[in-house]
Amino acid sequence: MPSMDAISRNLMLDSLRDYAKKHIPYDLIRDKDQANEFPAEILKDMYDHSILGVHLLLVPEEHGGVSGGTYDIYRICELLAHIDLGIATSVFATFLGTDPLNVGGTEDQKKKWLQRIAKENLMVAYAATEPDAGSDLINLRTRAEHVLKNGQLAGYRITGNKQWISNGGVADLYTVLAMASGGPCWFLVERDMEGFSPGKHEDKHGIRLSNTASLALDGVYVPKENLIGGVEGQGLLQAQAVFGYTRVMVAAFGLGAGWEAVEQAVRYSQQRIQAGGPLSDKQGYMHKLIVPHAVKLEAARAYIEDVANRLDSGEHGLQTEGAIAKYSASEAGNRAADDAIQAFGGYGYTRDFPVEKIKRDIKITCIYEGTSEVLEMTIYRGRWQEHLKTRGRYYLDIADRMDALHDRNPNTGARAAGLALRTLAAVMEECRLQKLTRHQAVTFKLGRLISVCELAYLFAEASAKEKYSESVRFDTQAWQAMARIFARDAAVQLATEGPALVLGAVENAASMASAADMDQVRAVQKGMMEDMDLVAAKLKQTFKAR
Amino acid sequence: MHIAVCVKQVPDSTEVKINPETGTLIRAGVPSIINPYDHFALQAAMELKAAHGFRVTVVSMGPPQARSVVQMGLALGADDGVLLSDMAFAGSDTWSTSYALAKAMKKIGKVDIILAGMQAIDGDTAQTGPGIAQQLGIPQVSFCVKVDVDGRKLIVRRLIDGGHEIVETRAPALLTMIMPKDYVSKYPSFPAVHSSLKKPCHTWSAADIGAEAQYLGLKGSPTQVAKIYPPPQREKAAMSGGSSQEAVEKILEILARENFVE
Repeated sequence: MPSMDAISRNLMLDSLRDYAKKHIPYDLIRDKDQANEFPAEILKDMYDHSILGVHLLLVPEEHGGVSGGTYDIYRICELLAHIDLGIATSVFATFLGTDPLNVGGTEDQKKKWLQRIAKENLMVAYAATEPDAGSDLINLRTRAEHVLKNGQLAGYRITGNKQWISNGGVADLYTVLAMASGGPCWFLVERDMEGFSPGKHEDKHGIRLSNTASLALDGVYVPKENLIGGVEGQGLLQAQAVFGYTRVMVAAFGLGAGWEAVEQAVRYSQQRIQAGGPLSDKQGYMHKLIVPHAVKLEAARAYIEDVANRLDSGEHGLQTEGAIAKYSASEAGNRAADDAIQAFGGYGYTRDFPVEKIKRDIKITCIYEGTSEVLEMTIYRGRWQEHLKTRGRYYLDIADRMDALHDRNPNTGARAAGLALRTLAAVMEECRLQKLTRHQAVTFKLGRLISVCELAYLFAEASAKEKYSESVRFDTQAWQAMARIFARDAAVQLATEGPALVLGAVENAASMASAADMDQVRAVQKGMMEDMDLVAAKLKQTFKAR
Repeated sequence: MHIAVCVKQVPDSTEVKINPETGTLIRAGVPSIINPYDHFALQAAMELKAAHGFRVTVVSMGPPQARSVVQMGLALGADDGVLLSDMAFAGSDTWSTSYALAKAMKKIGKVDIILAGMQAIDGDTAQTGPGIAQQLGIPQVSFCVKVDVDGRKLIVRRLIDGGHEIVETRAPALLTMIMPKDYVSKYPSFPAVHSSLKKPCHTWSAADIGAEAQYLGLKGSPTQVAKIYPPPQREKAAMSGGSSQEAVEKILEILARENFVE
């Protein structure tokens, strides 16, 4: 679905922000977190048509929804994550649970079930994971046996166990992945069906406001109309078709929760006086604990927005891009939250300040919807194909684009991004020649280096635009300084870690001596200190002490 | 009856910063919001609509992005919206703005009650609402917290120093609104925002409302803003400790030293 108009989207964001301000104070979140309690009242309001109706974003207009596009959902997910990642996860689970229907449902199924989700405010859960099948759904053990009536297929009897299901204990409707004789399929299972029983709310490290439970299905009978799409064996395809898009949502979680931690730290640093002045005036503090995270989060934002806009303009799949978005934003957010605790010192280690909770919460974004390691492999696989198909030109072509951008606008870090991309191309080619991708560790690391390079060039391009998107809270001067900082770091990372990756695995790799143009990599570092100072100053200006 | 509600898009004053070197407002990155008094006026109009079935039109003047506050009015339940947007309006002072809004009211047609916020939080003038009433030659009641309607009679509770007074007037009239202490602002739900897109929303230029250029914009405005600057910082306060007696003596000593008392 294309995204909605900016005015409508921002009115919805304002309504959600206002609701959170009035009804979700930190004290309430902290108490629920400690009590490991699902905030049923808040979720009820979120689904209430006359109060918010957030779940309607995923439902098309013709079925009673508001037809949100990926960009809209990214913005709402980011804001939800600012509020509380547990609440965000609960809303997300409904989005996710609705997806198999949106992607694979027949028109009749969409009409029936999407309308019910919209009208009856159904909370949905997405039940794929099993005790022995997480990232590898191929090990699926839940079975769906045919039930015949008069020799005709009437329905299915589902038996099996599901694990770590968000909204598991509280949902009204479940989309359950099970193996039928024709292959994996999604089934719609209602809470009150016989033989269906959710387990207890798990005692988790973080997102404790999100209900997570196991599910037991003991011969649950569903009519054949509840097989999504009506054809067996489409389940994994239907699941994969939305990964680009669902991972953008989790990327938005990493971005939102990560920024919440950074904002809290920036505000705190201006109040906390140490050695005669506020912490925010201490260059070492800002350069180490604050600025790098703001930069990485904004780089991730530029990438997320690119993927969201591409999906909204009709591109399909974008699995590699969705993986890069999610991997980069969740890792950046997780590290930002860790350093936010450090930035708060002893106070950050207590539960009186939200950064401690954010740190526990945000870790899940590196795990669910594909762990960082699975994503590293996904990213490597996707781009390795491009490298082979283009005979190594894939990143060299983008590097040429970066040089052209630098000629037009020397302020975006494009030169440094180009250097990183050329090194990446050389490292990938050497990996091909020496067959190094037989080492799994090499593929993981390539996945990481690929992500860094892709963020660097997309951030450079985004920062060169005349007008930034509505989500960017910085001016051109600040955003371009951030793009330069990110690209310089990328150039250094590739120049050091890229060749090291190859040299560590082979006897001889002469080409690695020239994989990176070290003179250029050194030359582009000029101005780093000044840019870091500038970003520190802009952060203080944007997030004042309250 | 037909109610017109005047709303304005303003920078969120809690987020506005002043450039200490130039003394000008830093508007970049400051979110725009609906003027809170106008937000209350809108809600008051919706209550009247719910009670009496009145028709509500939301009216604003501003750049194209001010359409946001008109759409918010529609999402909160208004029936139609009008945005006055034209470069000719840019820089209008309160007189020019009320001239244009009065012209718009005439074009809208039979309007029985005009509601406006008491003032906008960016300029704090409280002049535009009363200005519209003056231009239209209709009665006005300012600082209203509650409005009841009985036929053509409007019974209005207005805030005064130390309490309130009940005022009666007859439609057509203009009321400027100020929220009571127990007021809770309402925001539209997602589906309400979505369906507001289907309601009629017109953008009118100066020509559309028959406004004469000589009375519009910076040139047509009788008042000009010479300078905006932050108030000078106060000198540091002196704190005196000790008992109340000692503190009072200390304050008297300072007042005497500075020649405030003998």
